[in-house]
Amino acid sequence: MALGTVDIIEHTHIEYMTPELLFLGKSGQPYRGTVYIHFISEGKSIDLLDLKKYITSLRSCTFMAENIAYEIYSKINMVLEVDTLGVIVDLSARGGIQQRIQFGENFEPAKKQHVFQIP
Amino acid sequence: MPKMTNSTAYEEKRTSEVTQLGAEKTVYRYEYAPEVLETFENVHPEKDYWVTLNADEFTSLCPITNQPDFATLIINYIPDLRMVESKSLKLYLFSFMNSGEFHEDVVNKIGKDLAVLMSPKYLEVVGLFYPRGNISIHPTFSFHNGEAKYEEIEKYRFMNRNINPQRIG
Repeated sequence: MALGTVDIIEHTHIEYMTPELLFLGKSGQPYRGTVYIHFISEGKSIDLLDLKKYITSLRSCTFMAENIAYEIYSKINMVLEVDTLGVIVDLSARGGIQQRIQFGENFEPAKKQHVFQIP
Repeated sequence: MPKMTNSTAYEEKRTSEVTQLGAEKTVYRYEYAPEVLETFENVHPEKDYWVTLNADEFTSLCPITNQPDFATLIINYIPDLRMVESKSLKLYLFSFMNSGEFHEDVVNKIGKDLAVLMSPKYLEVVGLFYPRGNISIHPTFSFHNGEAKYEEIEKYRFMNRNINPQRIG
């Protein structure tokens, strides 16, 4: 599915977060993760309904866990084309090992359960 | 040395009771599959003790909109003769991935499946679902085996559930 975009003011710093990533690992085991997306707008952002549908569509897709950040990055980069785009995925532990996968620009994700949470 | 013998015998028995744990190839099911659940013997049935299982990766689908739902499930139980094997529980919980389930229904369904599977002395299943439409739903299922002690536990925990309402999760 293609992501739509919306027009917004340039130079706006945008960070999206969802703790509802689910995809299938190579073994068929479902993987859970939290996705952080950050970029500085060059006049466009992603349509959020499309982003939700895209993230949901990954439930039935199989990836190497290490490639999941690149998958999301490349999908967004196809429509935004900003140099500042970065994607971080924190995966739930498997075999006692936690993984953070990052692709594109590095950034420090804001860790909040909800927007009203005091840091 | 006799202790070693007992231990080995127990390990052999336990290994023979379960098929999922240590299997060379794990088969993941994506539709409701209660038949994957397995149990093993509780070797301390004379002693009441709590077992808590936290499952942070539970997911199912809304039966109306087909949108995914997510939850942390907390399973507390006092075992009797059988205990649920945790890998089979993992596979069982994953099997809800493409099943359409209301939050309240699925917590009850899981509770009933585990009650039938293990016949525990006491069992409760709490579902901490992620918010949808700004509202998060936290249903609790509970079960006791009919003995007065466990009936009392259920009654106490039921009556005191969320007695001081607050945001949880």
